[in-house]
Amino acid sequence: MHGPISLCHDFESLCTEATASASLLTNPAKLIDSVETFLFDCDGVIWRGDVLIDGVPETVEMLRSKGKRLIFVTNNSTKSRKQYGKKFEMLGLDVTEEEIFSSSFAAAAYLMSINFPSHKKVYVVGESGIQLELKQAGINYLGGPEDGDKRIDLSPGQLMQHDPDVAAVVVGFDRYINYYKLQYATLCIRENPGCMFIATNCDSVAHFTECQEWAGGGCMVGAIKGSTQREPLVVGKPSTFMMDHVTSKFNIKTSQICMVGDRLDTDILFGQNEGCATLLVLSGVTTLETLQSADNKIQPHYYTPTISELLAAKDLANGLHSSLL
Amino acid sequence: MNCCAQVGAEAGGSAPFLTDHTTLIDSVETFIFDCDGVIWKGDSLIDGVPETLDMLRSMGKRLVFVTNNSTKSRKQYGKKFESLGLSVSAEEIFASSFAAAAYLKSMKFPTDKKVYIIGEAGIQLELKQAGINYIGGPEDGDKRIDLTPGQLMEHDHDVGAVVVGFDRYLNYYKLQYATLCIRENPGCMFIATNCDAVIHLTDAQEWAGGGSMVGAIKGSTKKEPLVVGKPSTFMMDCLASEFNIKTSQICMVGDRLDTDILFGQNGGCATLLVLSGVTTLETLQSSENKIQPDFYTNKISDLLAAKKVTTNA
Repeated sequence: MHGPISLCHDFESLCTEATASASLLTNPAKLIDSVETFLFDCDGVIWRGDVLIDGVPETVEMLRSKGKRLIFVTNNSTKSRKQYGKKFEMLGLDVTEEEIFSSSFAAAAYLMSINFPSHKKVYVVGESGIQLELKQAGINYLGGPEDGDKRIDLSPGQLMQHDPDVAAVVVGFDRYINYYKLQYATLCIRENPGCMFIATNCDSVAHFTECQEWAGGGCMVGAIKGSTQREPLVVGKPSTFMMDHVTSKFNIKTSQICMVGDRLDTDILFGQNEGCATLLVLSGVTTLETLQSADNKIQPHYYTPTISELLAAKDLANGLHSSLL
Repeated sequence: MNCCAQVGAEAGGSAPFLTDHTTLIDSVETFIFDCDGVIWKGDSLIDGVPETLDMLRSMGKRLVFVTNNSTKSRKQYGKKFESLGLSVSAEEIFASSFAAAAYLKSMKFPTDKKVYIIGEAGIQLELKQAGINYIGGPEDGDKRIDLTPGQLMEHDHDVGAVVVGFDRYLNYYKLQYATLCIRENPGCMFIATNCDAVIHLTDAQEWAGGGSMVGAIKGSTKKEPLVVGKPSTFMMDCLASEFNIKTSQICMVGDRLDTDILFGQNGGCATLLVLSGVTTLETLQSSENKIQPDFYTNKISDLLAAKKVTTNA
């Protein structure tokens, strides 16, 4: 899953050495000109919870006006691509469903790519985003929010039945997590021969509301790892599954991409694994202190406070234009 | 090296089936029994247990019961033994709920600090008994988190330790509260009563165990817990000290390789695996299994064969 860090030829003149410290981005114009596509994480980059981060709409517009392709990749599996499209719309951003790749979509896409048998089912420990994407892909499922109110009866002799046709358990963030779901998922993985354990992501914390960090999908995945003693197949960042899907769909080279994210062990690693330029923003879960700490082994090419710092490229272009008049 | 080396498993081979019960019993002074899958399954006593315990007591053996199940306190386990017709005192029982409290006492957990509990009444009762303040536990089982815009969870900055054990009332509120304490309270400890993957909560099947709750908090904090239950030898050290016994004089009897048997081996005891719980013969003998007890048998009542030998002699 964690491939070697490779330097991409398109950035050789810009890149720091693989193990050197990240530099503060001072020449946004040069970075922007050196790539064709920007891949943005969402939580902590575009928004925090349901609050748009300052300067995002202008930055998105500027990049589009410069002919850049924009793609939004999020590990947050609570919504489907369609639901994310509506969220962007509600926040006043013009982003289409086809430009969004959520880990809920990735789980369904993965199952489709391996020809998940039509008579089999998925048990969902997660929210409606996963269910909607599975439905869209024509995959049968059970579980999800509906199991949030179910209680365990542990009176003597009690046995929990489970569906022997469940051939995959998909686990993502679930604010309605409970013991019923943990046990159901555990039984499927341990007792249904060949049952897969798929994780949308393993993020430890995320800004589910703008006020603080909240325990993330890594919590639910950790719970199932603990009861099954199995490692999941992770479809979200930093696994390259979504990157491979994106590059294949849009026919782009990874060396032509700049990955922008707030999390080192998912976003930046995701970009590095595939040879993209990487830009860390400090508007989300990572602080400058964490980036520069001796314990941190993941160094992006650049870091900057928020994506609106890229707007300096617009000013430069305007300034240049004015000076040429 | 324990007294059974000469009759134990050959290094690298699979554990032998126990045939010489008398020699094993005579070679040790104390038997430590796991409970779930050894003495009972859920609330059902396993066949032959009362007679076996009686026989061992009559042969002058000390009996100690060590369980990773933190849902009850030692006192509550005493009542469970009593309800099943077994005469076992609270002092003979070492539950991981007790181990968590004992550990905090041993490192002089400050009196102005609190523990946040993900777990059941057993942990609360043991902490109360040890004079340690706590919050959380079953009372937080009905609390909901909706993640509405602007929602902020406050947490007590005096929480100096989070203790995590099996919790059938687990919910996101508790997971987030524990996560905040560990990530934001400087020096806050993350203590696990046990990491058992599955347990026989009812006698009918295996149920996701404490390892699930601990795994959840590992996932959100990226920290490793300090484990007080088996296979950590903390409880072994407690009881060896309490009863002034050498671990080489002990036979550890359990149904789980990665907790009971490893616990016994780590402590330098003889080890006997029973197949009346979570481990099958297939698992024991599989090439992936790296933990070999000195012996295995079907259930503890097989030890009654020693009585027959003594009677016939």
